[in-house]
Amino acid sequence: MGIDQEVLERYHLGICNEQEQKLVEEWLFNADADELDLVAFDGSKADLKQEMWTEIRGVLPKNIAVVKPKSNAYFMWKGAIAASLFIVAMGAAAYFVFGTNFAGENPSMSFNNSSAQHVKHIDAKSYNVSLGPNSSAKINSAAGVIDLSGSLLISPKKDVEWQFEGTTKKITLKKGQTYIILKNSTSAEGIIVISESNLLDLPPVMQKQITTQFDI
Amino acid sequence: MIFNTFRFVALAFFLFALLGCKNETEKKKRYSFYILAKDGSEYLIEHDVLDQGNLSPANNGVLLEGRNMDRDVIVKAGYYYHLNRKTELFSKSGIQDKRLKSQFNIPLKDFSIENFNWLATDTLLLTGLNISGYNQTKFFLIDTKAMKVIRQGNMEIPKPSGKFTTLSIGLVNKEDNHLNIAYTYHITKGVSDYITSDTMYVSALSYPQMKLIKTDKDVRSTYPGGINTIQSYSFIDGNHDNYFMTCPGIALGNRPEIPTGIFRIKADSSVIDKTYFFNISASKINNHAYGMWPLGNGKVIVRSERKDLFKGLGDHYSTAHFEFYVLDLKTKEITRLNLPLDKGTRRECILVEGDTAYIAVNSNKAGNFIWLYDIKTGSLKKGLQLGGDTDFILRMDRLN
Repeated sequence: MGIDQEVLERYHLGICNEQEQKLVEEWLFNADADELDLVAFDGSKADLKQEMWTEIRGVLPKNIAVVKPKSNAYFMWKGAIAASLFIVAMGAAAYFVFGTNFAGENPSMSFNNSSAQHVKHIDAKSYNVSLGPNSSAKINSAAGVIDLSGSLLISPKKDVEWQFEGTTKKITLKKGQTYIILKNSTSAEGIIVISESNLLDLPPVMQKQITTQFDI
Repeated sequence: MIFNTFRFVALAFFLFALLGCKNETEKKKRYSFYILAKDGSEYLIEHDVLDQGNLSPANNGVLLEGRNMDRDVIVKAGYYYHLNRKTELFSKSGIQDKRLKSQFNIPLKDFSIENFNWLATDTLLLTGLNISGYNQTKFFLIDTKAMKVIRQGNMEIPKPSGKFTTLSIGLVNKEDNHLNIAYTYHITKGVSDYITSDTMYVSALSYPQMKLIKTDKDVRSTYPGGINTIQSYSFIDGNHDNYFMTCPGIALGNRPEIPTGIFRIKADSSVIDKTYFFNISASKINNHAYGMWPLGNGKVIVRSERKDLFKGLGDHYSTAHFEFYVLDLKTKEITRLNLPLDKGTRRECILVEGDTAYIAVNSNKAGNFIWLYDIKTGSLKKGLQLGGDTDFILRMDRLN
């Protein structure tokens, strides 16, 4: 006696006799058992698939059953976006791997703010800088040299020690603190470097100018 | 029975509240220190004695986080009053559970405090300028108990004109029905480029109308007083005579060629006494000074710079170069106090109680100490040390 569709149906309905039950279970749990007798499944493979699909479609929600074919434009844009994302990802990776060769450095940077009223904000790799009105600055972070004419607000991202160009004046700027640097004359005495926490030690007339200009 | 239970609970609650208040009273400290630490952090330390001990900001202080507090704070009866120039909120704060907690905030728009005066226990007059230009004088009269603005407005002081761009108010004193206000004008050319007029003015304004009654001017010195939330520059003596100093040095007026001096407005007067002038720069001090504190009996302490020890504004605050002198305003006798050189351009650093003047000194070599000056004998001795990471004692105030 073989396993056929009729026996399996009776097994699942729980109406087969003891012998049939034993047979089905033996077939189910034994890899060596005879192959399923497919005589009962007459008809072509394609018809069978179609019959299965019809049944499945009957129980599926309508909106999932409908899949619109994609236009060529869709595939074109998909490709373009993917390519763009790939380029951005590669660029970002390159920035982090070869960071020093990108926007951050150039270790020597020059800033200029010719506006008479507005402050210019610059975010460099190792410091944030706000340049006051009518001011220009040159910072070479590799050589540790700074030159300034006018006023500057700076927040270093690491501890630095810089020398003022053309003078022996050295300044130490600590990470996480904000400093105000002012220079009007060419002598070292004309250079003022003060941390924001000492701002109230400056003459009030200067404090008012600084807090207004830099909005601090 | 229910009534009795209720009564018992009420009594227990009342006792609890009473004990709570008692504890609160016991915890009140007498003095407050505003500390700037070496890493740039700021702390408030409240303490009871000045003549001995050692405190460190990390162990004994309250770290001031954010930017709600600064050293331009008015300290009175356990509270810290401060105007935050960014949020434009005037706050009343106290220390609770090792944190500075703001209890009330009131908006004071477009206002920068130049001077404060307590007109009564809970009545505070704030005089200052508009932030949008620093060229208009304004005032706020505040009830500090309810934290309400009683009155506000502009003051009728002439705005800067001609070449002058801004002004500074350095002295405000209330007489019976008028205010005496000393001020001067500036020419600002750039962020670090300014100069002060060679003339100072004293105007009498009606109070509370703030209308101009008359103006007096003087050219013997300039830049009268200063911002008194940072440091003291004036006082009224037992005869109700008002003494104030002028500060033309580079740290305030930036007219170093003009002498620093002490002037007087006599009681019930609105003009600078033309017969009185204590020329500090021309005395044996031979330097500009900033800051004056009364010792009683016609004597004051002034804090003077040493031009031979600093190079310019860049190192004026960080170099220890300040000296303390006792001046007799009547005899013009000058006595140098044998203290270590002090650093910090402007500081509220002297408290006087009885015959003792407590002087907070920031010395790079000898440490940060409160020194005790015996006004009668002239002796000096070291008291409380502010150790640990202390870089500057920026303020020392009587808290309670």
